[in-house]
Amino acid sequence: MRNYESLYIIHPDVVGDELTAMVEKFQKVLTDQAAEIHKLDNWGVRKLAYPIQKVERGCYVQTLFCAEPEVIAEFERRLRLDEKILRFLTVRFKEEFPAVVEAEAVEEVETVEDVAETATAENSDSEDTAPTTEEK
Amino acid sequence: MAYERPSRPSSAPPRRRFGRRKICRYCADKSQKINYKDVNNLKYYLSERGKIVPRRISGTCAAHQRQIAEAIKNARQIALMPYTASHSL
Repeated sequence: MRNYESLYIIHPDVVGDELTAMVEKFQKVLTDQAAEIHKLDNWGVRKLAYPIQKVERGCYVQTLFCAEPEVIAEFERRLRLDEKILRFLTVRFKEEFPAVVEAEAVEEVETVEDVAETATAENSDSEDTAPTTEEK
Repeated sequence: MAYERPSRPSSAPPRRRFGRRKICRYCADKSQKINYKDVNNLKYYLSERGKIVPRRISGTCAAHQRQIAEAIKNARQIALMPYTASHSL
């Protein structure tokens, strides 16, 4: 079982239910072949670096999964058949899958705010409070 | 032959080797990984016209230059980075 990462671009005119149905269809293609899906990330509509089939924007969908090598050929064949898929790229993921980190992002934002508060306290004329805030 | 080549000494005429020795950014900081999705870091390795910058200009080491080139080519294929500076023609 190898780790793969697949990134494909969907035509921007596909929205809403149709979009989720399409993403679900391709996830099902993977799970039907005994692939373990680790992550599915929809980046949303982004501007393309160059126009593909005359469109300037596209919806990027990234999926990380673990599968046997034969699964890739079938997956890409299905992607190629669909006309709404503009491009796809499947890459072997060399490192281990990164763990999902969402709680850490919130903590980082709070510490940055604390540092900003101490900086403004130093700029003001409060000499007594400055060292105490620095000890934090 | 309109002219004769003057006989040269074996050493080449004095020329600077390279301007300054740059450090490979990815060797200096081992935690940074080269990823084709990381457009913000990779765009420094593209020239103004969208070409991949040679190693002697960017200062990266050989192994990382190969990884950067592969990542840029992947990003170009998936339309995260351009092939040239002016695509609209």
